[in-house]
Amino acid sequence: MTGLDALPPGASVRGRADGFTDYLVGPAARRRQLTDRIIETFEAWGYGFMVTPVIEPLDTIAAGVGGAQQSALFRFMDSDGSLLALVGERTVSVARVVATQLHGGPFPLRLCYAGSILRNQALNAGRRRESLQAGCELVGADGLAADAECIALAAAALERGGVEHIQVDVGHADFVPGLLDSAGLDATAREKVLAALARRDLVAVETALEGTDAADAERRLLLAFPTLRGGREILDTAAGGLRGARPQRALQELAQLWDLLEAHAITDRVHLDLGAVRDWDYYTGPTFEVFSVDSGFPLGSGGRYDTLLSRFGTPLPATGFVLHVDRCHDSIERRDVVPAAPVVLRVSWERDAHAGALELTRGLRRKGVACACDLVAGGDGDVHVSAAGARWSHLGNGERGSIDAAVAALVPGAP
Amino acid sequence: MRGLRIALPGGTLFDSACGLLDDAGIASLDPASFDRELSIRHGENVFVKVRPTDVPVYVEMGGCECGIVGKDVLWESSRECYELADLGFGLCRLVLAAPRDSALAAGMWPQSLRVATKYPVSARRFFAARSLNIVVIRLHGSVELAPLTGLADCVLDITATGRTLAANNLVEIAEAGTSTARLIINHAALKTRNDQVGAIAVALRRAAAERLHAGAA
Repeated sequence: MTGLDALPPGASVRGRADGFTDYLVGPAARRRQLTDRIIETFEAWGYGFMVTPVIEPLDTIAAGVGGAQQSALFRFMDSDGSLLALVGERTVSVARVVATQLHGGPFPLRLCYAGSILRNQALNAGRRRESLQAGCELVGADGLAADAECIALAAAALERGGVEHIQVDVGHADFVPGLLDSAGLDATAREKVLAALARRDLVAVETALEGTDAADAERRLLLAFPTLRGGREILDTAAGGLRGARPQRALQELAQLWDLLEAHAITDRVHLDLGAVRDWDYYTGPTFEVFSVDSGFPLGSGGRYDTLLSRFGTPLPATGFVLHVDRCHDSIERRDVVPAAPVVLRVSWERDAHAGALELTRGLRRKGVACACDLVAGGDGDVHVSAAGARWSHLGNGERGSIDAAVAALVPGAP
Repeated sequence: MRGLRIALPGGTLFDSACGLLDDAGIASLDPASFDRELSIRHGENVFVKVRPTDVPVYVEMGGCECGIVGKDVLWESSRECYELADLGFGLCRLVLAAPRDSALAAGMWPQSLRVATKYPVSARRFFAARSLNIVVIRLHGSVELAPLTGLADCVLDITATGRTLAANNLVEIAEAGTSTARLIINHAALKTRNDQVGAIAVALRRAAAERLHAGAA
């Protein structure tokens, strides 16, 4: 009998916890290569690779991220009763390291990392609870050139990793809150609108604005939210009729940032997006998200967070970003025909030729050819070593010769 | 670039959703044709008929770029989508109702309350503001039977006309919310296919506003 009825009641199915993934041979290697390419790009731009733990004290995390994110953490108790959590992102960890160990500079500090993050999300939701993130932090630089560098680097790393059709949406964390200030909304209405925006509920934004006496220019902008996108020209459109200094300053910064991105030669992949909905408590300046038409989720996101480090006692401006390696991997795997597995030569041998076969494998590996030697005599591998050590034959063409000749014949590109 | 995949809610909203798509000039779909196949191509777009509660799942995970779904489904869903437009149809209310002869119906709130509902998330949020000791009993259908059988003291359920409540001897105690159909959009699609989803949103909004006008006239 097969099927669900075949299991005795209460029998445990020895499986994985939901939301966690096994990567088998092939996908696992490609995922690692993707990570390597991303990190190599970070390093090529001068970002030093560092590692932080997968566990942090809950207090440390709470200093950095808001309540909603904290409630989605895997939490447990340390042996002294204090609370620990598996990290749900790693920027806070890097901030802790900078504040406690690297506060002497030299600034700007360019740091990068890659590691698992864990989120205790609902079961059977199809969401990952462990995922791989790679990110960069540029600490101690307050100019827009730093923000432009991060945007250009995020795009470069994804493209180096093989992600196609990249699109970067750049917004500003101060634009919408500034707009709400200058619209003359009272605190309650302001909170309502921000909360609705954070929920991405634009119907509720409309409803919240209806009951207020928001000035026309600001109301028009807030209602046009999802369409406030485009090139540099949308900044002029948006600026028309705006009185508040705060949103004006955000628009000016975006204009300067656009010029810097043009100097980085990536504006063909960039949209300005004044309607970008981001975490307003955390970000303080330009923010961005990276998309690809191959994925329904953002592949990366980042922005300026000038107040985070002061929460660790080291007031320093900072900007950075994170790339969701697993989502990138998904979009690449779904797009590509499955690539052929890398070639691994199988070396077989007869009777007293074991040592010779092993010598051949050493020679092949020195030349960078992957090979595995049979553990017992006999068999018909790709390469067959038949006499005491020094002779080989390539099955199929019956060639015989020295091991050097074998290596030369088998190594791709060898003369 | 390929067309959009649009998730439509089966059930009470389905015919109206097809009608609005027709009014908006997006697609003229015969609701009955979805009895034969669940996925229908119209022009470059593909329309799929799914259970209402599955619409936000399809849209969040990128299976579909757009979806039409009742706000009542979104209250219960923790899926992250952009809610772009109120489409006006499918008006109904989420109400707390209790048997006509109960203390609750007489305006007396007991210390503890058993609530039968298909909307457990909404129920918890509704009662969070009132310091009551509530037990939420999640059911999947015919919630009105729960008070009749003694399973629960009251129900939190959707009503359009109030007839089902009255037929089961239940009276409305309080309103928890008003629901209409909404247009929801996948996060990445709003950015990478802004022109396409924007055109759909504008057309549906216009059609919904015209309907409202025609209804008022």
